[in-house]
Amino acid sequence: MAWYQVKGNDSDTVFSSRIRFARNLTGYRFEAGLSTKDAEEIISRIEGALGDEYIKTDMCGLSALQAQSLVEQHLISRDFASKKTPHALFRNDNKSLSVMALEEDHIRLQCILPGLSLRDAYRFACECDDKLDSALELAYDESLGYLTHCPTNLGTGMRASVMLFLPALKAANMIASLAHQLSKIGLTMRGLYGEGSEPHGCLYQVSNQVTLGASEEDILHKLEEAVQSIIEKERKLRQQLSGEAAERRADRIHRAEGTLRYASMLSSEEFFSIYADLKLGIALGLIDSISDETLNTLLINVLPATLTQNAPSAPKSGAERDRQRAAFIKQALEVSK
Amino acid sequence: MKCENCKNNDATFFYEETINGQSRSVRLCAECATKMKAGEKLFAEQGDAFSFPSFTQLHNNFLDGLFGITAPNTKGTAKSCPGCGATWNDLLKSSKAFCPECYTTFLEELRPTLRSLHGNVTHTGRAPAGRRAQKEKRDRLASLKAQLGEAIKAENFEEAAKLRDEIRGLEKE
Repeated sequence: MAWYQVKGNDSDTVFSSRIRFARNLTGYRFEAGLSTKDAEEIISRIEGALGDEYIKTDMCGLSALQAQSLVEQHLISRDFASKKTPHALFRNDNKSLSVMALEEDHIRLQCILPGLSLRDAYRFACECDDKLDSALELAYDESLGYLTHCPTNLGTGMRASVMLFLPALKAANMIASLAHQLSKIGLTMRGLYGEGSEPHGCLYQVSNQVTLGASEEDILHKLEEAVQSIIEKERKLRQQLSGEAAERRADRIHRAEGTLRYASMLSSEEFFSIYADLKLGIALGLIDSISDETLNTLLINVLPATLTQNAPSAPKSGAERDRQRAAFIKQALEVSK
Repeated sequence: MKCENCKNNDATFFYEETINGQSRSVRLCAECATKMKAGEKLFAEQGDAFSFPSFTQLHNNFLDGLFGITAPNTKGTAKSCPGCGATWNDLLKSSKAFCPECYTTFLEELRPTLRSLHGNVTHTGRAPAGRRAQKEKRDRLASLKAQLGEAIKAENFEEAAKLRDEIRGLEKE
């Protein structure tokens, strides 16, 4: 079972928590300018250090569609998906722990867990880091910390992030000011699936900006404090709605459920909007026929590449993909009953 | 108010950041804000979840001029990295280091950039297992020295003597 199929803590407001470490091996050039022989040697050394419990994917053997599906599953970055030189992915069974070998750095390891689980994600990421450290000599300097290809990642090489679900703050037009406040304390806010300027599904990622001079503990503590305060604001705003406004919200949520269950064509944009309404409905106790985990699983599985991979045939048009999406959702809801 | 970059259009964009206590802010028109990409970074596309702001963006864009961040020191241009042969100009062009040794070779030249990126240029936090004991000793010494300073300031000489002995002992190890 993948990590996103499991219910997480504070799932009413948090989609996932993620820790990522950037690491490099000594004795080699950084990724740019690495010879094919050295690249293959690094991949093989990482493979040896990780052992059998990780599933290896040779990225050069994948089609563009297969690689894009891994992006949609939060396993790899888009840059990694489009690379032409040797690179490989190692991941555990439930896809919560993964190592990108030869992304921008020789090693980009990440742990992603459902809900608010920063400490657990950090613990698992450290275990994987220790495993690599015991078998490989990692590039490190007393004063600059872990040495990375780009100076922006020096020091801890760590990025900690929490994906928040903030429909009430968005409705109250408070996201921009929140992002501004976060930037003042060294945190960044981004959208999740925002292909334009507007993030989809009311999902926003908050992460640390600075990696040098602040310890992992400092970074986690600051992020946790900020996230807790955002969660409280979001919950308070949700409760404040009353009377006709609350009734309209409930109506919108129930209509969203109807569309999800009975639509015969569904675009990804419409799905994101339904996702946000239903996730809020589940949090408010208005929807009990669909679980939060089912909804989160759909969020990954109905994205274009993953959907096409699981479809009986590749769609020949956007309309056909929308039909496949609606059919896939109907089937998934039937199975989850 | 006019845009602080082009001095022509009305400023409709306010950018402010504080990194490790160092603040800077700027007012820009939409056109210049787009150019600088400060606004874009806020809700960058999904794939960028793995990336950090570019070193070049932070080092070379006109914000640096506005905030008086010193231009890169050019005295290192003649030397090259023993690990990979890269020069300081190579680093500036690519905005990245080419091998771990580039950092020791060009540390002086990199310092202003690291300061503008991170605020602080000394690592605290995890270390590889083989270096942990060494790092813990260094961190412990730094903490003891800070405590010693405090004790002397407070004229707590008994405590200061204890701390001094502990520091000497640790340094001999």
